[in-house]
Amino acid sequence: MSDTVQFDTALTFSLDGERFAIPVGHVHEIIDPLPVTRAPNADPFAPGLVNVRGAIAPFVDLRRRLGMGPAVVGETSRVLVLDLVVGGEPTKVAMLADDVDEITDTADTDLEALPELGVRWPTHLIRGVARKDSSLIIVLDVDAAFSPTPTQMLRA
Amino acid sequence: MNPAAESFIQEARDILEELEGILLELEADPTNPKRIDAVFRALHTLKGSGAMFGFATLSGFTHHFENAYDRIREGKATVTPRLIQLSLASRDHLERMLDAGPDMDGATAQDPATADLVAQIEALEEVQAVKPAESAPKAERFLITFKPDAAALKNGLRPDLIIEELAGLGQMEVLTRPEEESDSREIDPAVDRPSWEVAMETAAGREAIEEVFIFATDWQLEIVQVTETPAEEAAEPAARCAENQTEMAAPTAGQPTNEARSAAKLDSVRVQSHRLDELMDQLGELVIAQARLNRIASELGDTGLASTAEEIERLVTGLRDTTLSIRMLPIEPVFGKFRRVVRDLSTELGKTVTLETRGGETEVDKNVIDSLTEPLVHIIRNSIDHGIETPEGRRAAGKPEQSELVLRARQAGGEVLISVIDDGKGLDAEAIRVRGIERGLIAPDQELSEEQLFALIFEPGFSTATTLSSVSGRGVGMDAVHRAIDDLRGTVEVKSQKGRGTEVTLRLPLTLAIIDGLLVTVGEAPFVLPLSNVEECVELPVDEETRKSGRSLLRIRDQLVPFLNLDTLFGFDRVDRSDRRVVITSVEGRRTGLVVDEVIGQYQTVIKPLSLYHRGIEGLAGSTILGDGSVALILDAAAVVRRAQGALRAVA
Repeated sequence: MSDTVQFDTALTFSLDGERFAIPVGHVHEIIDPLPVTRAPNADPFAPGLVNVRGAIAPFVDLRRRLGMGPAVVGETSRVLVLDLVVGGEPTKVAMLADDVDEITDTADTDLEALPELGVRWPTHLIRGVARKDSSLIIVLDVDAAFSPTPTQMLRA
Repeated sequence: MNPAAESFIQEARDILEELEGILLELEADPTNPKRIDAVFRALHTLKGSGAMFGFATLSGFTHHFENAYDRIREGKATVTPRLIQLSLASRDHLERMLDAGPDMDGATAQDPATADLVAQIEALEEVQAVKPAESAPKAERFLITFKPDAAALKNGLRPDLIIEELAGLGQMEVLTRPEEESDSREIDPAVDRPSWEVAMETAAGREAIEEVFIFATDWQLEIVQVTETPAEEAAEPAARCAENQTEMAAPTAGQPTNEARSAAKLDSVRVQSHRLDELMDQLGELVIAQARLNRIASELGDTGLASTAEEIERLVTGLRDTTLSIRMLPIEPVFGKFRRVVRDLSTELGKTVTLETRGGETEVDKNVIDSLTEPLVHIIRNSIDHGIETPEGRRAAGKPEQSELVLRARQAGGEVLISVIDDGKGLDAEAIRVRGIERGLIAPDQELSEEQLFALIFEPGFSTATTLSSVSGRGVGMDAVHRAIDDLRGTVEVKSQKGRGTEVTLRLPLTLAIIDGLLVTVGEAPFVLPLSNVEECVELPVDEETRKSGRSLLRIRDQLVPFLNLDTLFGFDRVDRSDRRVVITSVEGRRTGLVVDEVIGQYQTVIKPLSLYHRGIEGLAGSTILGDGSVALILDAAAVVRRAQGALRAVA
């Protein structure tokens, strides 16, 4: 999987009080939360499936991977429908965000490496952090953050 | 690639497929002139049309291949096993050349494999006794006028290549060409329909000229033989085209005209398979939308709407049946491929095996056909390698040295049954048991029926062969078969009699796209169970409900059927209700009860594949959208039951 999207424009969203950024090129649409069909014996990271305008998409819970508590659907919750390439297959993936903030420009040069200490999420899922208006935006490594778990890849 | 080249590749693939069959028949009957002619014709067509569509390398290679057969036609050489071997290799090479696509910018590519095969073919010619060349056929004069249709030129057909090819037949002079001196490729085909007039002298005959135009079905073409041949001129062109005179022997009359050829082609239409897939996809959406319509109609209770919904349902069903029938193809071409597999393999292993195919006309969905080749190759390899004895072994067992492998297809209900039957030594149930215990697949004291023992050969890592061959015996083949057939929602059955032979039967659904299912809910989530695996539904007795542990058995008409709660199996929380149901499934002849919360009803649905996030979950075959817009998961009954039986065994 290669990430060819230029890191010029990104969409920021919130998870558990933190701001994350994902390249807009990966964002297909933003929709209201919708019912999730639970898949039996599924990885908690991909607990079910949703119907996005007549197409079935896997529903992923990024909080799981980032070591956060379970999501609670609230007033501001939105579902991001992402265009990803998973294991060589173009795949639409749905994920729940606590809030969708804004479209912002983060040039690659603004990226700072993560501090070694004091980070509570797995660093391999993150490309770096960008400073914006005195707050931190965590720029996700899309391929790593959304890849089906290695064990799932083996079983598939 | 332009459409004309694409259609050439299609046609060429058909020719090569046919060629393989003819070559194998020729091997069995090496003196049959009809077969020799057929090989020659196939090669000749390939050569001519290849050159015309920019496959000069392929055409050049075919020329050598064709020459070898021309010599046989002329009685200068005979069909030998070595020639057949080389021909098959050359055929495979041509296939690879087609895969590589047309030459870039008309430059002919050189690759060592081509040169090697050409050298081998030529060496063959030298070895064979060469009769003194007969006197060259007399050169004849022709006047050729042709006018390509506008569409052909637009599609990138190149008249300059045709003229080049005509030049290859003999001495040629272009009398008139459109817009003198201009490059023919620059003509705007949409504006004018140019025509060419060519005078030529050739010993190759009218047939050879017609062959040049073989792809030009819709052209205006006139070939006139000019009768008086000036004697003094005849000598020179005849000498000049000496190397080409083997192209065609005496010209024959009564060749099918262009009109007749194009008329014959109207019977069928070639459609790219992805278009069929799109059609099927849209039809799937239609089936889903129609289910929603039915639901709304029954909720509203409006008779007008209800009858319209019914009408639409009828139409959708008809459309579905027609679309499915378009995708149905006879299985014969797949069987045809195995003639080669059987031949190569039996030669390699020193066994004499004849292949008989029955029921090749049986029709199966294209997608099923595409996925069938691999598992069938594994089964056939296994039969030839492990099942069929060596000629000595067969003699010792009092059997004819020649063994017979039968491939049989037939339809039964909504399924296709494909069997591979050999008359080899059969499966050794005792050896399988020992091996199974050794591999920890079964307990030493476990009592298994013969059928259950045979099923062990499909377990990963199982192999009873004491020696490994290049062919099979590494224990990777048969479990791959099982997985492939599982993916096709089919099952595998094995019957065997020691010393008499083995019969492996694949049971496959007619189509993969649509499934008749039973809609149930488990833990408030909807699931679809394939109806083909469902025998009946019964109520779950209340006393069973309260039972805490131990093996669960249900008495159904004097038979004990084990059952399992699907919510437990799925890791879902138990829904509190007292009227739960048991769906009795039948998988590979065994009955298992699956406890669900609710049975909603029969449901016909389109299967959507799962993404990589969920594909690895055992027991799921796909997903679908229900009438109310929610997503339901389609269960793979065989996998669920396997899992359930594993769980039952663990409990017991």
